[in-house]
Amino acid sequence: MNRSVVKAACVFVFLAALIFSNLPGSMASQIREIRISDSKGDWGYPNPYRHYPRGPGYVRMSWVFDTLIWKDQNGYIPALAESWSFDADRLAFTFHLNPKARWHDGRPLMPEDVVFTLDYFKKHPYRWITVDHVSRSEAIGPHTVIIYLSRPYSPFLSDIGGTMPILPKHIWGSVEDPERYNDPKAFIGSGPYLFRDFNKAKGTYLYEAFTDYYQGRPKADRLIYLRSGKPLISLSTGQVDVANIKPEMAEQLKGKGMVIIKDERGWNKKLMINHRKFPFNDKRFRQALAYAVNRLEIIDKSQRGFAAPASFGLLSIDHDMYNPGTPTYSYDPAKARTLIEALGYRSGPDGRLIKDGQPLKVELLSSNITVAGESVADRDGEVIKKQLESIGIQVDLVNMEQATTDSKVKSWSFDLAVSGHGGVSGDARILNEMISSQYGAGSVNSARYDANPELNRLLEAQMLEMDQEKRKAIVFKIQEVYAEDLPAISLYYPDSMAAYNPGKGIVWFYTKGGISKGIPISQNKMSLIR
Amino acid sequence: MRRGRYIKPLPAFVLAGLIMVYASYRLPRLLPGDFVSALYASSPVTLSADQEAQVRAYYARGEGFSRYLLNLFTLNWGYSYAFLTPISALILEALPWSLLLMGGAHVISMLVGFIAGVEAAWRRGGYVERTGVGCMTVLEGIPEIGTGVILLLVFALSLGWFPASGAETAYAVFSPLGRAWDVAQHLALPLATLVLAYFPGNFLLTRGSMVMVLREQFVETARAKGLHPARVRYAHAARNALLPMVTRFGLRIAFMVTGALVVETIYAYPGLGTLLFNAISMRDVPLIQGIVLFSSLMVLFVNLALEYVYGWIDPRVGYAA
Repeated sequence: MNRSVVKAACVFVFLAALIFSNLPGSMASQIREIRISDSKGDWGYPNPYRHYPRGPGYVRMSWVFDTLIWKDQNGYIPALAESWSFDADRLAFTFHLNPKARWHDGRPLMPEDVVFTLDYFKKHPYRWITVDHVSRSEAIGPHTVIIYLSRPYSPFLSDIGGTMPILPKHIWGSVEDPERYNDPKAFIGSGPYLFRDFNKAKGTYLYEAFTDYYQGRPKADRLIYLRSGKPLISLSTGQVDVANIKPEMAEQLKGKGMVIIKDERGWNKKLMINHRKFPFNDKRFRQALAYAVNRLEIIDKSQRGFAAPASFGLLSIDHDMYNPGTPTYSYDPAKARTLIEALGYRSGPDGRLIKDGQPLKVELLSSNITVAGESVADRDGEVIKKQLESIGIQVDLVNMEQATTDSKVKSWSFDLAVSGHGGVSGDARILNEMISSQYGAGSVNSARYDANPELNRLLEAQMLEMDQEKRKAIVFKIQEVYAEDLPAISLYYPDSMAAYNPGKGIVWFYTKGGISKGIPISQNKMSLIR
Repeated sequence: MRRGRYIKPLPAFVLAGLIMVYASYRLPRLLPGDFVSALYASSPVTLSADQEAQVRAYYARGEGFSRYLLNLFTLNWGYSYAFLTPISALILEALPWSLLLMGGAHVISMLVGFIAGVEAAWRRGGYVERTGVGCMTVLEGIPEIGTGVILLLVFALSLGWFPASGAETAYAVFSPLGRAWDVAQHLALPLATLVLAYFPGNFLLTRGSMVMVLREQFVETARAKGLHPARVRYAHAARNALLPMVTRFGLRIAFMVTGALVVETIYAYPGLGTLLFNAISMRDVPLIQGIVLFSSLMVLFVNLALEYVYGWIDPRVGYAA
């Protein structure tokens, strides 16, 4: 009797194992939910017109809205478009859409939606991209769209291809004020997740997997964002599965079984210079500042070693178009002083530099700076002040709240300011935005430097060059001229890290060149797809 | 006569209210910078001069004090620049959490502080009273940020007894009882931080008032009548020591809106303090003015209410009026 019961149990267990082992992989390994945190929480509603124009806002939207192409850790990959090509003679990009692509309401995604999106963004701009260079677009057949350019535009793939979210024509076609469009339909996209909730007070977001997603069902059923300014505790206690961390936390979190990932060098801290006033309008003075600032000391003291010196040419040293021959300024206080003395300054009785009886006195602004959505206190100002004072420049260090500092920089009411921005490993268009006032007049991080006609010409030329090798040669030259003129001084790339719990079975990664236009955040949606 | 006492303070409060309405409109506009600059400052989006002008013009729609005043009279608090959502909805979303945290902390710290203060004064000169005063003086000097971080490290990181952030487990599915337990667990550390911050002040204030009252002749009389010591302490003496506590409670309640900013930040706890802080850093002027006005009106109403409560607690105040 007992033997037969045991036999029956064995048969049952064997059959059960057989049945469960034959389940599709996606069902057997489906994750219930993934929790992600950052310190601010609130980044606006996740649609193109209502997310904040910051990296975390774009990333929250990217779960819901797909683009034509996307990036992973190695570069561009297909998204809504399975393949694409460029016809230089016609100045036209052809995209072949994935026939399985669907909107969240079940309707098929058509090439007409892409055509509509381009037209809609012309009428109601989505400020992450410009569609000014698109002359027209047309749907060819059920899955092909051709986009014609009015003139060459080298960042096309980065902007239109990899950043522009595609909107459903059947929903947005009748929307006149997209910023105030708050219907649930405003969140119908073609991305891997359906938007379910945003709690503004708590800074929490809920997404649910779109099971009919054309690239396969997402690995986690629910994706939750929450606010927590303590990633070490939140990760250690299992409250969250992935979060940005400070480099100092890495070892401790490693000890708790977390996986630490480090980004390429895509964010640079820099010293803004008011090059419109004397003596900062003299190139020699700006070069003297570069010689006077000991970047290794800043990295050592204010970053505790967790950073790398930046290229003076602005573009990241990890960028494909980085010019290793960019002029550099090694720490040399004697040379700095010589350059300043060439401007008519002499040593005063107390060792300070004076001219016409007036001491050389500068105001240095410093404030918290937002990096990948996290507000980071600035400690560089103190070190720079001491370094400049050591060569005889009197420095008045003023610490202010970020918006106040930004406002002073914007209105040119400053001498020097510690600042920083990302995107330096993304498309080389960042050079135009961070150098020229034609592109960056509205940015507080842009040098807005138009004094060198050669530099202006090169910046224009690189935007029009569709041949990557030829563009690279122009970008090389831009870095050389920029580093020579130094309208701003790139200081260092702080280490950017994230930690995640490998127990959930998700491998998170940083995107080559950053998500979209260079967002240094590890939450690439492909982590939950492939 | 009594009705006159209720009506007399009203004109001054109405005038103060109108001044606050104007101040709530004017002050946020004196901040350096504006919403567009703040929003795009750390953005991967770089605006050209034209784009910046377009964005600025979009958000400048509906500006002007007369418009603001008109909207207020129609109970329209306006729209937040950042959320593009009615401000009243944003305040109502954050207010319950502020009330739960700050209200809970005030009530607990006042009750416990008052009773402990009364008992300490009654035992004046004893070991317990001297130790209590010493400890409370030290505790009063520790800022909320210090207590908060210590509690966080001990009870969240080391022991893992309580969650480190948030007001509840986001989007978890609970029974009503389970949710209440979850909310209570999340509330424990921020509440304890605030109670530890407020309790010593209440204790010291009550003790000081009570020591003075206990010297009064009516207390001697009550004792001489042979009343139970607890009745002498609470029914006769403590009632007269209550007035400063009520004033303190009223003022603290008035600062409920923004008073917990530090604790809200440490524990990522939702509330009006965080909402205001984010609004200021983003220069979301309509939201700043909404919260500032709400907070100011709360101060006014609480002070008006205290005018009446004083008379009820201590009839001498009414006679003096």
